[in-house]
This record gives sequence, C-alpha cells and structure tokens, in this order.
Amino acid sequence: MIEVKNLVKRYGDHVAVDDLSFAVEKGQILGFLGPNGAGKSTTMNIITGYISATDGTVTINGLDIFEEPEEVKRMIGYLPEFPPLYPEMTVTEYLNFVADLKKVEKKKKAKMVKEIMESTKVTEMQNRLIKHLSKGYKQRVGLAQAIMGYPEVIILDEPTVGLDPKQIIEMRDLIRELSKNHTVILSSHIMQEVSAVCDTILIIDKGRRVLQDTPENLSVHFSSGSLKLVVRGDSNTVIRELKKIDKLTRLEETESHEEGTVSLTLYFNENDDIREDVFYSMSAIKTPILEMQAVRMSLEDIFIKVTQDEGLSDKNKNGDNTGKEEVLTDAGNL
Amino acid sequence: MLAIYKKELRSYFTSMIGYVFMSLFLSIVSFYFYLHNLSQRVANFEYTVSNVSFIFVLLVPLLTMRIIAEENRQKTDQLLLTSPVTATDIVLGKFFAVFSILAMIIAVISTYPLIMTRYGKVPFASAYASIIGFLLLGGAYLAMGLFLSSLTDSQVIAGVITFIVFFLTLILEVIARRISTSNKTAYIAFVILWLVVCLVLWIMMRNLTVAFGTGIAGVVALTGIYMAKPVLFDGALIKVASWLSAMTRFSNFYRGILDLSDIIYYISLIFVFLFLTIQAIKKKRWS
Repeated sequence: MIEVKNLVKRYGDHVAVDDLSFAVEKGQILGFLGPNGAGKSTTMNIITGYISATDGTVTINGLDIFEEPEEVKRMIGYLPEFPPLYPEMTVTEYLNFVADLKKVEKKKKAKMVKEIMESTKVTEMQNRLIKHLSKGYKQRVGLAQAIMGYPEVIILDEPTVGLDPKQIIEMRDLIRELSKNHTVILSSHIMQEVSAVCDTILIIDKGRRVLQDTPENLSVHFSSGSLKLVVRGDSNTVIRELKKIDKLTRLEETESHEEGTVSLTLYFNENDDIREDVFYSMSAIKTPILEMQAVRMSLEDIFIKVTQDEGLSDKNKNGDNTGKEEVLTDAGNL
Repeated sequence: MLAIYKKELRSYFTSMIGYVFMSLFLSIVSFYFYLHNLSQRVANFEYTVSNVSFIFVLLVPLLTMRIIAEENRQKTDQLLLTSPVTATDIVLGKFFAVFSILAMIIAVISTYPLIMTRYGKVPFASAYASIIGFLLLGGAYLAMGLFLSSLTDSQVIAGVITFIVFFLTLILEVIARRISTSNKTAYIAFVILWLVVCLVLWIMMRNLTVAFGTGIAGVVALTGIYMAKPVLFDGALIKVASWLSAMTRFSNFYRGILDLSDIIYYISLIFVFLFLTIQAIKKKRWS
C-alpha cells in the first residue's frame, strides 16, 4: 500500500531523514515513534508531497508521489503538526472549502461534510469561527479536514498533542474507527499512545529506522530480565535451591506481605527465560509457587533504550542494570 | 482552482479588507473625477484616469500583502500543497480573486463617463480606452504584489516591500532622466543592478556557487559588451527604466490610443509575475 524506500532528506549539512525504508499494508495503523526532532514530521511531509526528498522514493498503491503528485495526493488525507485552519472561517465554511479542494463531488458534499462533522464531534461548533475554538476542537476540525473525501491513506502528525485525557481517549477511538476503512500512519513521541492504537510500531531516531515490530512483540522481545516470585516456605532453603539455577545472575529478597511466604526478585540474562527452571526447582523441594510474574519492560523503557543505545547492536549485551537506571532519570525530562 | 478562487474572494468580504479597499479606491477615483472633469467642466474622462493611476501603488499592497504570506504563516499552505491541486491552480485562483475585486471596481468606474452625457458630448472611445488600460495596469500591479507576497511569511514585510517596489516603478523613469546619459554611468549602474540581482538569488537559494557564478558571468558579459561596443550603453539606462516602468506604458492609454503592443506588454507582465509566483511556491518544496 505505502512503500517508502531509502528516503533521504538533507538540509545543507544536516541530515533530517537518513536512508529510511518501511512499508505499510492496507488497513494497518503504523505508529511512528521517535524523540522530538527525529525526522517524523519531515518524513510525513515528504510522503504527503509537501516537501521533496533528496533521495529515495515514496509510492502509494504503486504510484510515485514525485512523478504523479496529483493522483497520489488524492489518496492522502493529512493532519500536519499544526492543523492548517483558517481562523476567519466557520467550521462549516472551512470543511466545505476543503471538500472543494479535495474535489469531492457536489452531490455528495453536503452529506459528507455532515457525516464527518458528526464522527469528529464538531457538529455543535459548526457555525463558530475557528479562531474562537479551543485547542481540542481545532485539532478535531483538523482531523475532519484530513478525513474529508475519505482518502485511502490518512496521515496524522501528533494528533493528540494539546488534548486533555478524555479527548485523547476519544481521539484514539476515532483513529481506531478510521482504521477499519483506511490505512493510517500516525506519529507521536508518546509511547502509550502508539501502543494503544497501532498494529505496528516504527521507532526512528536521528532520521534512521531503529526498529519495527508489533507492540506485543516489542515488549516480549525486550524482557527486562527480572522475575517476581512469591513462594510458601523457608527463605534459606528456597534461596539455596534457587541459586542452583545457572542462568540466574542475581537474587534479592523483598519484604513479604503474607506470613510464611518468601518474596523474591530474580535477575537473569535478558535473552533467557528462567520461568520453567524456577518451577522445577521449586517443585523439587515441594515448595508451592504462589505468584510468579515476568517483569516486562514497558514500551517506554524499550523506546528510551533503543533510542539511546543506537539500536539493536547492544541488545545482546549483558543486562546489568546500571544502563537502565541512567535511562530512567532521563525519562523525567522527556 | 475554483475552490481557491471562491475561498479567496469570500475572505475579502468576510474581513474588512475588501470593503476598505473598494471604498477607498472608489472615493479617491470619484474625488479625482470631480476634480478633473466635473468641476473643470471637461468631458475627457482619460484625464481623471491618468491622474489617479498612482492609486495602485497606494492600495494594491493592501489587497495582496497577505494573500500568500498569510498562508505561509498560519501553515495553511500545507493544506493547499498536499491537496490534489497544483501550484498553478493556487496562484491563478488567488490572482483571479483579486482581479475580480478590481474588475468590480472598474465596472463601477465605467459608469462615470455616462454620468457626463447629461451635460454634453463625451469622447467615449478615449474614455474607455483609458479604462481598459487602467484595468490592465492594475492587473500587472496585482500580479507583482502576489509575487512579492509569496517571498515571505509576514504580511507586514510583504506589504512594506510591495509598497517600496511599487513606488520605485512610479519614480523609476524620473530618476533615470536625472542620471547622466553617458555610457559609463549606464555600465556601472548595470553592474550594480546585476550584483543586487545575484544577492537576491543568494537569499532565495542559499547557494553560494550559483549566485557567485551568475554574478561573475553577468559582470564579465557586461564588461565585454562595454569594451566592444560602448555605444550600446548610450542612454541605455533611460531606455531600460522606461521599459520596466509600468506607468510609462500607460501614457498611451490615457491619450486614448489602444495599441496592441501595450496590451501585450501588460498581459505579459502579468504572466511573468504569475509564473514567478508559481516558481516561488514550487521552490519551497525543494528547499
């Protein structure tokens, strides 16, 4: 459906997008994730034909945006970082103008404008001037503009910026709803947002692709290498038994909330899975496991990790935790 | 194109600019009409038109300063340029919108010679020849204003630059007449002008090699011509200035002469500036 190949964008000496390639299938939602200034907006501006690329190609349904811009633009609805609104127009005037601009047939126009106003919940504001709308409503009108003409591809640049939590949830539902009939690319620097709606996540940093996977795979892939365990038994026996497991690197006893139980945190190499070993070793000494939970890295942690470590090359490195702690203090600044 | 035309035209009448422009324009023309025809009891409407032609310098910046600069500022150019319309559609839509406003005003002005028929015989041919010229002159200024507005994203800067450039077209010929006609002055003036052009080129493209290359090539060419045939530069400054000055051409119209070459001159002036505007918009994509 959408295919981006070896995309490069240079501004003088500065490389905004560096050899980026990816593909999106029909009906998918692709989340574009990266820190501010990673090249997300630039890439979206290139896909939509607003700016040119220094090198590489973008094709939608097999048509090249650089060779057949008009045809391709017809298939795309775009909500840029700043919604392109005319403050002096009312919502209805604006959406009618956009419908004309997108060459919506005259017969279908009135119905489509009404439908889209309803689905984006701006109907009650239809006769207000856009300059008098709140940020949340402006964003929705911007989204309404992107949906106008029901293009096959909808590209949203940070669609939830500036919205309150309730509006964010509404926006997410709306995007999920859209993906039934449209292919969606959305960008964000907020992890939970992408993981909530997207089928695929593409993480980019400094204009380069860091990794692409589904949200589920990402968090499985990046297990943090620790396990929380609660067993009923004597702490000394349990610890002695557990230390026999080769893959275990470190073990920590935590405060127990129930009498007669032992709470432990087990650390192991990120690429190993020691859950079965723990089960057999505990059953060998007839100690019942009450709780066992693999601590997964949240997508936030993965995001910070991959954008700071420069990709997967460090994935196999032994997972001592110093790197992660350093990362977590940085997270506060994000 | 039609979508942009309608939106643009409507925007002038939902804000004050359209009304301010029309009322100021008509008041000034009417005042001159009173001054040169009614109070003097002269039937030649072309006198009014010739005396009031400075009005474009004063008022056109009002109409064109925001036309593209404002789109750039509020980022609505992103909507236009990612929609299935071409840069040509955008520019033509906008040009015809402002041209329509001018045409409405001219339609009102066209009734003025008719008013005078109550008092005697009116030379209609020269009156309407001057009005046609007036419309064309206005169109040329609108196209110029459109182009200048596309170069910046601040409507204030666009307005000021437009006004300065328009003012220069007004006084260009007068200045040129004052400067000596010697070929050396002309040569130096052309070299300076060429370097200014290259400076603008550098500002627009940020490409030192191209700007520098064009600069050197131009200066070498000018020097070559000057060395080989200095006669060519005799009085050249005045010739070029009066050719560039849209106002000078206009004098034929108010004498009541409808010359095809003058009409073509104005239409090509409009074409050149619309073309430049389209290029300025396309260029943004490649920067």
